[in-house]
Formats: sequence, C-alpha cells, structure tokens
Amino acid sequence: MTVIGIDLGAKNTKVVILRSSEILATSSVLSGFDQQSSAEEAVNEALNKAKITREDIKHITATGAGMDAITFANDTVTEISASARGISKVFPSVRTVIDIGAEEGRAIRLNENGKIIDFGINEKCAAGAGAFTEAMARALEVELEKMGEMSLKSTKAVPMNAQCTIFAESEVVSLIHQNTPREDIIRAVHDAIADRITSMTRRVGIEKDVALVGGVANNIGFVDSMKRNLGFDLLIPKDPIVPEFISAYGAALVAQDTMNGG
Amino acid sequence: MQLVQEEENLTFNQFKDWYENRHEYAKAWKERTGGKVIGYFCTYVPEEILYAANILPVRILGSHEPQDVTEPHIFAMFCPFCRDCLAQGLKGRFDYLDGIMIAQSCLHIRQAYTSWDLHIPTDYSYYLPHPMHVQSPHAIPYLKEELIQFKKSLEKWIGHLITDKDLKSGIELMNKNRRLMNQVYELRKEPNPPLTGLEAMYMVVSSQMIDKEEHNRELELLLQKLPSRDIGDPGERLIIIGSEDDDTEFMKMVESLGATFVTDDHCTGTRYFQKEVGSSRDLMSAIAERYVKRVPCPSKDWPNRTRLDHILQLTKEYDVQGAILIQQKFCDPHELDTPAIKEKLEDKGIATLFLEFDVTVPIGQFKTRVEAFLEILREEDLF
Amino acid sequence: MSKAKYPFERLKSWGKAKTLRENYYRDFAEAHDKGGIRWAGGAWSFDAIPSGLGEDVWCLTGEPYGATVAFNKELALECQEAIETKGYARDLCSYMRNYWGSIILNKYAWPQFSKEFPKPDFMWQDHICCSHAKWYQVASDLEGGIPMFSIDVSVGPYEELTESRINYIVGQMHDGIKWLKKQTGRDYDDELLIKAVHNEFRSCHYWAAICELNKTIPAPLDEKTMYALYVLGTLRKSSQWTADFYEKELYPEVKSRVERGIAAVENEQCRIMTDTQPPWAFLKVFRYMEKYGCVSIGSLYTFSLIGLWEDKEDGTWGPKAIPEIEITNRDEALRALAKWNLSKPEWQHFYHPQLKSEMMIRIAREWKLDGVLLHFNRGCEGLSLGIAENRLAIQKAGFPVMPFEGNMGDEREFDLTRTMVRIDAFMESLGMKKLVD
Repeated sequence: MTVIGIDLGAKNTKVVILRSSEILATSSVLSGFDQQSSAEEAVNEALNKAKITREDIKHITATGAGMDAITFANDTVTEISASARGISKVFPSVRTVIDIGAEEGRAIRLNENGKIIDFGINEKCAAGAGAFTEAMARALEVELEKMGEMSLKSTKAVPMNAQCTIFAESEVVSLIHQNTPREDIIRAVHDAIADRITSMTRRVGIEKDVALVGGVANNIGFVDSMKRNLGFDLLIPKDPIVPEFISAYGAALVAQDTMNGG
Repeated sequence: MQLVQEEENLTFNQFKDWYENRHEYAKAWKERTGGKVIGYFCTYVPEEILYAANILPVRILGSHEPQDVTEPHIFAMFCPFCRDCLAQGLKGRFDYLDGIMIAQSCLHIRQAYTSWDLHIPTDYSYYLPHPMHVQSPHAIPYLKEELIQFKKSLEKWIGHLITDKDLKSGIELMNKNRRLMNQVYELRKEPNPPLTGLEAMYMVVSSQMIDKEEHNRELELLLQKLPSRDIGDPGERLIIIGSEDDDTEFMKMVESLGATFVTDDHCTGTRYFQKEVGSSRDLMSAIAERYVKRVPCPSKDWPNRTRLDHILQLTKEYDVQGAILIQQKFCDPHELDTPAIKEKLEDKGIATLFLEFDVTVPIGQFKTRVEAFLEILREEDLF
Repeated sequence: MSKAKYPFERLKSWGKAKTLRENYYRDFAEAHDKGGIRWAGGAWSFDAIPSGLGEDVWCLTGEPYGATVAFNKELALECQEAIETKGYARDLCSYMRNYWGSIILNKYAWPQFSKEFPKPDFMWQDHICCSHAKWYQVASDLEGGIPMFSIDVSVGPYEELTESRINYIVGQMHDGIKWLKKQTGRDYDDELLIKAVHNEFRSCHYWAAICELNKTIPAPLDEKTMYALYVLGTLRKSSQWTADFYEKELYPEVKSRVERGIAAVENEQCRIMTDTQPPWAFLKVFRYMEKYGCVSIGSLYTFSLIGLWEDKEDGTWGPKAIPEIEITNRDEALRALAKWNLSKPEWQHFYHPQLKSEMMIRIAREWKLDGVLLHFNRGCEGLSLGIAENRLAIQKAGFPVMPFEGNMGDEREFDLTRTMVRIDAFMESLGMKKLVD
C-alpha cells in the first residue's frame, strides 16, 4: 500500500511517499502563491523519483499552514499531530519535540506511547522562527547558509533581546556600528532565538529526550545555542528524513494508519 | 564629564561595588551577624519594622540579562521587570534569603512574588495588604492595623517580641538614611552638581540592599567629600521620571552625551527616600502615615494625580530643562499617567522624551533618540 | 449527518435578555430627558449605593460597554486609533481604550439611542486592579473634568477578612454617600439602598444557581449563550429587573431544560471551560468547537463575576445563600454589601493564583470536564493575572489545557485562523473527531 504525506509550509512544500512503512521518495519545492499547484508540483516530483504514478497512491494526508488548499488530499491533520507522529517513529525515545518552521515555532510534549500531552506555539511573532534568522542574515549581509558556521567562530556572548524582529534588526545595526565582530552578532542572534524557543518549550515542560526538527535544525550555530541553553544534546533526524521533512513524514504515517483502520 | 569617569572610582566606588555585588554582601552580612535576610518586592514594604527585628531587608531587582525561565509562570504581557525579578529567584541567585514579602501595589510585581512563593521554598512569606486609596482618610487606620498584624507575624517567626525601643531605632535608622540622601540630592540643585545621575542611582539603589547602618556611614563620608567636588559643567539638566529603574547602562549613555540627570521621580530614587516617619508617640500610626503620604506610585495616585504638582516642583527646585519619561514596557500604572505628565511638563516649557525599558535596552537606538532630544534642547537654548 | 444525540431547543429567555440590555443603554442615553441622573463606573462597582439617590438614576458600566464596542469591529478600531493618537499605550486594558475612544470621538455604541456619547454626571468606581480607578481618572480628564469617587476593595482574600479591613471599605462607602449627596444636591434614601442590596443578593445567588445547573450532562446552556445572559448582572446587579429576570424567568426555564434533558449542543461529547473574557469579535470560535460536539459549560469568569458561590453541605460548590438578615439602617446595609461582594470568586485571585487554580480545578471536576481552554487575554491584566500559574496547576490536576493568546476588545491581537488550528490540534490530542464539517 502506497500513501503520501504533504506538508504545505509557509516557505516550502514537502512530500514523502511511503510504501508499507518504507520511504520511496521525498521532494521539496518552494511554496508559491498558488498553493494547490505547489503541492501538485511537489507530488509529481516525488512520484517521478519513486517511478510510480498517481494511480498507485491509496491515500493522501495533508498538513501545514496551507493544508486546506490541497483539494486532492483525502484528509488533513494538524502540524502538531504530524510532527509528533513523525518524530516518535524516527526516535521513539523522544518526549519533547521542538519544531521550528519558517514562521512558527512549536513545542510538543509526548508520553511513552507518542501521544501528545501538551503543546505550545509561539505567538503572533516571527522572532521565534526561521524567518527571524533570515531577516537578521539580510541585515548582516551574510548568506543564510553561512550563519551557522560563522556563529561557531564567535568568542564572546553579546546580550540581545529578540522581543520583535524589527526591534532586533535595529539592535543588530547598532552592534554593527559599535564594531562588534560579525561572528559575535550572529551568535547573539542565535542565542536570542534560542532563548525564545527555550522559553516556549519550558512552558510545555522539558523532558528528555528532546528532538529538534524543522528547517532551522540544519543551522549548526542555532543548534549550538540551543544546546548551551538546555545543557544537553538534542536529537536531530538525519537522512532520509531530514529535519524539515518530519511533518510530511508524519502526515504520510497518519495516512498509513488511516488505511490500516487506525 | 571627563573628570567624572576618572574620579568615579574613588567617590562612589563603594556604592557601585555594593550594587554590583549585592549577593556577596548579603551572604557575608548573614555570616557576620547571624541575622535573617528578607527579600522584598516593592518599596511600600515598611523596612522600619524589619530593621526593628534585626532583619536585613534587600530589594529584589532584576539582572538585566535575557532569560528563558519565567515563561511558564508569568504571561508575557506583564512587565519585563517582574519577570526579570522572578528569574533571579528561579536561577537561585537569592538562595540565601530566609523570607520574602511584598506590600500590595501593582499587579505586575505581585506576580513575581506569588510565583516565587509557589516555586521557591522559603521559610517565611508575607503578603502585606496595603491601601491603594491612599487619599482616603481611612487609609492610615487601615494600614496601621495591617502593620500590627505584620509585626505579630514577624514576632512569631523570629521567636521574640519587637519592642517600642526596637521600632524607634528602626525608624531612626531609616529616617537618617532618608535625610542623608536628601542632603546629597540638595547638592544636585547647584549650578554645578557634584555628582551625576548615574552616581546618584548607585547611591539610592544600593541603599535598598545594604544594611542602612553601613550605608549611612558611607553617606556621611560622601557628604564630607561632595561640597568640594567639581565634575564640571553639567550640560543640559535633566529629570528622569517613571517606573523602577536601575538601568545603569542607560544613565551612563545619556550622561556621556553631555547632559546630566539632576533629579528623578523613580521608586529607585526620590519616591523611595523622600518623606520621613513623623515623631508621633503612636509608632505604628506614624509608620502607616509615612507610607500613605509618601510620593505615591501611580498605581495609588487617584482620584487626584498628586504626582503632577510634585514633579513640577522638582523641575523648579532642580532647574530642569528636559524630562525623560521612561517606564517598564507594559507598566499600566505609568502608562496611565504618562500623557498627563507629558502635557503638564510641556505646558510649562519642559521638553519630554518618552522611552520604554525592557530587560536590556537597545542602547544604539536609544542613543539616537536621546541625541536628537538633546539637540532640540540645545536649539532652544540658542533662541 | 448522524441523528442528534440529545434534544435541542432555543432558549426562550434569550429575547427578553436582549430587550433588557437594550433598554438599559436607551435609559442611560435618555436619563436627562426624564430629569434623572446618570453615572458611569465599573461593572464591579457597588452600584447599589447610588440607588439611594432616587429611582431616576441610571448608569453605564464600562466593561460591558467596552465589550459592546469590541463587538462592532469598525467602531472598535476607530476608538483604539483615536486614543492611541492621544498618547495612550496600546497594551492598556482594551475595554478602557474602547470606552475612552467613545468619549473623544463623541460616539455612542448605540446610535439609535444617541448620536453623541452621553456625558455622565459623575463617576462611581471601585478599585481592584491597577486600571480600575485610573480608568475613570483618565475618562474624567477626557470629558473635561467629571467628579469621581472610587472605593478601594483590595483588602486581601475573603477567607482572611478582618473587622479592620471591612471598616476600611465601609468607611469609604459612607464617605461616598456624603460625596454623592454633595455632587447631586439630593437627599439620600436609605430604604432605596436597602432594597438595592436585597436585589443584588438575589441577582448573584440566582445567576450562580443557573450556572450550577450546567453540571448536568448534557449541559442546558453553552457559554456563548451565557454571555448574553450574565451581562445583565454586569449592567446593574442591584436592579429589580436583573434580579427578577434571573429568579423568575431564566432560572425556571433552565431548570426545566435540565428536567427535560434539553442540550445546548445537541451532539455533546466533550465538555470544556474557558477562562477570562473571550475575544468578543470572534465568538464564532465557540460555534466551531461545536463541530466536535464540544460544549463550553462556562468559566470561572462567566460563573462568578456576578455569581457568588459557597461550599455546600455535600462538599460541592453551589450558589451562595441569600443572607437571612434584617437590614434596618445604612451602616448595616453597607456592611452586608461589602461582605457580600468581598466573597466574589473573581476577586480572590488578585492575591494569589493558587486561590483561582483551586476554584478552577473544582469546576473542572464538578462540571465533569475533558479539558480547559485558557484565554491569555492581552486586553485584561486583571483577569489574566496569574493565568500561567493556573495553567500549570490545572495540568497538574490532570486536565489537558490549551492556552491561546488574544484580546477581548482589540481584534488586532487575535489570530482567528491560528486559533482554529490550535483548537483542531487540541481536539485531536483529546481524541475527538469532527462530527460535522
């Protein structure tokens, strides 16, 4: 039995194809203005990779901010449930999931059966999400991909208050004017967002193991700040289900559960 | 201003040192005296009664560092100050405290107290109901009764009675501290004040955490030195008005631009030490009267806004040219007074600049605004 | 669609409640035409006291007025922007900002009764949160100076009440009456005061009795409907019309619904409560939850802003009994009124969040709830006080909690789409499936 999970995120649309729990293919495309066609594009790409056709697919479950736009999906599941389902398959020992998307950060606490006990979502503000790092990268004129590496070269912690993206951006500008090394500013940005995410996670309670998922988990500088804040290591999924694919994978697992009468 | 930076170390070093090493001080004090230390959350707490019981009162203040531990306890719409205070407790920085207490004032700081009470074990915890309607004639008798109850509770905790003699010495100690700080403030009225706003801040804030006996001795020494101290032309004479403020970075930045704070209306400044306890034979009544009639926190300043005239009086006495209105972000009581204060000051020709504190202030951004503000004041000077 | 699980029937008293509310706003607007007096103040103020000035005294309570404005999105935004330009912070109480906005725009939220905002003759307030007395201090400034009297009621929890604390409040009340006489030039009729105090006893008792009926499964009332009913108590709890409506119309009707098994949500399968004032412009959230067969049975807020409660002999929480006392003079009336109000459950949490958590957990158990929705309400620092601690305590007691941020009166701070997504996730985590699409 073959099923598909689609995660239509604010920035990227991700697709995972599963056959009897085995991952056949994954794909990711930029989420365009027309969300339905982004979803189709991502699905077609994945089908091509898997060398199968739409007719082979028994069930499609969608998740993500744009999930209701996907008219060809059989059903939908919230990102919270998708993320939780995905991570407990990859790391059954995980009790706390920190999921940071482009515009939203989430913390989910699970019990030993992978059932959601509590969850928190950052409020109407980008300061706790991926978009924040992007805005700061722009202000610093640094490529987003290099932020992580550069941050690790920092030698000094500079306090910064990431109450809001606009405000933080002007703080970054003042730090530049004060000739603060770029590496230290980047670390300050990562520390600030890590503070916010940790704050939110403390609200739902932190219990080990803790997993970090979502695109921001690929930023080694941010991961380092998170480790320093929490005082222990985080689990980060690796190939074939890289951090940003966890929700799509979770949605595919939910689709499979549904087909199995779950 | 150059002179200040060089000399600062000598004259105000002790106050600065106390402020920066408050925890070490309190621990050493405990060790030395064997006494108890109570952390308090608001300056409406009657320290007289604590001193009478040989207890060291230390005000719980924040640390101006970003933190991630209070989110589960205080909703983010409350002021950064109350969250910063609670964070100090959650991080164990006040682990030497034997007790905590609050006197009823604003809702924000009340939550720092209640969450502390719930999550950080202490031997003694007291919520002192305190009149909000301080303009009512019933406020003093009500507070007097509350103070009597509080004294009883303290006596039960420490295991002995607090005598009238004890109370008198507590009152005297507090009054002396107030009187000495007032004398220092008097010197700030001069054309060339012998101290900066930053130095005054170190002096007053440290008095909220140091044994007043020692603080008084240091103040007496200071008062000998100050009359002959010359730190040069003050530049623009400013008043700073608003909520709790121990943001030394901000003070330093403003004064580095060539202006001087010559006075303030803060609970870490004049609101704390102005007005002494009177000499009535009924000691509890006298203490109650002092706290009811002191310059109020805006949360208690109604139906009339008595602070307006008081602030105007300060601007006259200290020959103020400009006012910085600064408050903790989300501080409702101050937000409810700010437009009225701004209007009144501007009506009297005193320019104002409004700013909001967070745990850390964006110094670069604020510097631009303060520079622009000072430029406006300087232009006015030209014409 | 499956057949409904329970019988459903519209609430007959709903229309009457609507009329009473309209009359209230009309009477205030027209008070001067009838030679009467009008005053403004809070919904929690001792409204029984100005009743002694005569039977032609009408009031406008600020909180329900602010909510009325919030319900009208365009007017609300206009009010908020107007007050921001006056230099008032955006994070202040949103009811208060809506109310102030009405003053400076000179627009009444009930234009059919008055195009202009009717100027009160005096302000009569109480003070429990930082904004209460200050609200009318600023309102008075904006109106160009209207005399105000405010009574501080923040004397600690009811359980720790002392004679001195009551004296402080009663002393202010006596001063208040002298002040009222001076402001209006009228005599003060103690008989009218005593009558108003008795009405208030009845209003508060019967509203709690009505809420208690919601312990039944299926719940006879849902919270969205309850908002339209409890509001009368916030308009004027000491009036004959409020007391009569609760005792003689609403209570018998809800009781009969219970006896006949009538449900507010016909597919009830999940029971929750909320907390604090809802985002008034988005009450559709409640209708959305009904798709999951989820009924909000009320909240500490809807139960006990007006309703007063006490421990019953069987250990349950029930309506506070109407005092069986004979009030013969002014001082007795004021003392009874002070004591009665100080037991208000919504006043206890001002001193410690634990007091509120205990009451909320008790509701969760006795009203048999599956979960709790906490509105972290940016519009009201008073009722949001300690809400994060309430969340921790309720969770610890074993009830799943979903917090959501919003604002009762300022829709700019509420995100409908994301709240709906959050509700979906919460329902999923409770194991609930949508019954209707």
